[in-house]
Amino acid sequence: MTTATRDIILPAEWRDFWALTKPRVMSLVVFTALCGLLAAPGNIHPVIGFTAILCLALGAGACGALNQYFEADIDAKMARTAGRPLPARRMDRAAALNFGIGLAAFSVGIMGVAVNWLCAALLAFSIFFYAIVYTIWLKPNTPQNIVIGGAAGAFPPVIGWAAVTGDVTLLPILLFAIIFLWTPPHFWALALFMKTDYGAAGIPMLPNVKGQRVTRNQIFGYSFPMAATAILPFALGETGLVYGVAAVVLNLVFLALAYRVWKNEATDATAMKPEKQLFAFSILYLFLLFAIFAFDRMVIS
Amino acid sequence: MTPNEPTAYTAEETAIIRKRQAGRARVMGIALVGLCILFFFITVVKVGVWG
Repeated sequence: MTTATRDIILPAEWRDFWALTKPRVMSLVVFTALCGLLAAPGNIHPVIGFTAILCLALGAGACGALNQYFEADIDAKMARTAGRPLPARRMDRAAALNFGIGLAAFSVGIMGVAVNWLCAALLAFSIFFYAIVYTIWLKPNTPQNIVIGGAAGAFPPVIGWAAVTGDVTLLPILLFAIIFLWTPPHFWALALFMKTDYGAAGIPMLPNVKGQRVTRNQIFGYSFPMAATAILPFALGETGLVYGVAAVVLNLVFLALAYRVWKNEATDATAMKPEKQLFAFSILYLFLLFAIFAFDRMVIS
Repeated sequence: MTPNEPTAYTAEETAIIRKRQAGRARVMGIALVGLCILFFFITVVKVGVWG
């Protein structure tokens, strides 16, 4: 916090450290990881399973903290992020860096000792990929930032799976691919109606660099391989009919919304209802798809 | 000491700092107790005490 009379930053509240971990993003990470863990063949002791999910949550928190440390100046320029602890000057930057590094080291170390070292290696790589490759390198330099960077968010179900089996087979790779292909339409829908915000911060999101038409084409284009990949676990006989039907229905709705985005010509954010609907549905889509996948696999096993 | 850190805090700032330190200490205490319990159970599972 800064005081009314002097421009100083006092030691932060614990709530600011909590905000640094991006709890809402963390909840999606925890959920997809839990689905990967529940869907994997074999058994894991509940204590070790809980530890794996906890370490993933802490690793995701580390990513959030390091991301906000590196992007404090960018966050200050966007209305959506200006209230975060660092741009709002409620926290010293060094504290955010130390917190992020500490969480990362702790989560990877405990994951290795308590669960297995494959999970620890995957977690370490995903933290490195998000905090360094995506945040520092991709995000400020290329409009394909979230396409490649989406890989970081696709690791949790693979790690959840590997916590049970100790290896990575075709099915967790398909889960990885679903999130990887889901990320571009999800984020570009947001980027379309947040174009001004990203533009003010100088981030080369696709709508700012290539224009809205190209972005809408890409959103619609990515929706097809995403839908095909989402149905593949059923097509390959790895899931039952419950997941198969759910995957078809969810992807048809997703494609219908993506089609409406593709047809939309609006340039003003207030007229971008299809984009806002696609963004909102994409979150529900991922939650439902993974929940039904885990349920179906548990019923089969 | 960070560049923005003053050499002396006002009484109002000191009160805020103490309150935040107390809040952080409480949360850290809860986290440490939770970790102690978790590490105990991890150890029990790893050494196979309960089969």
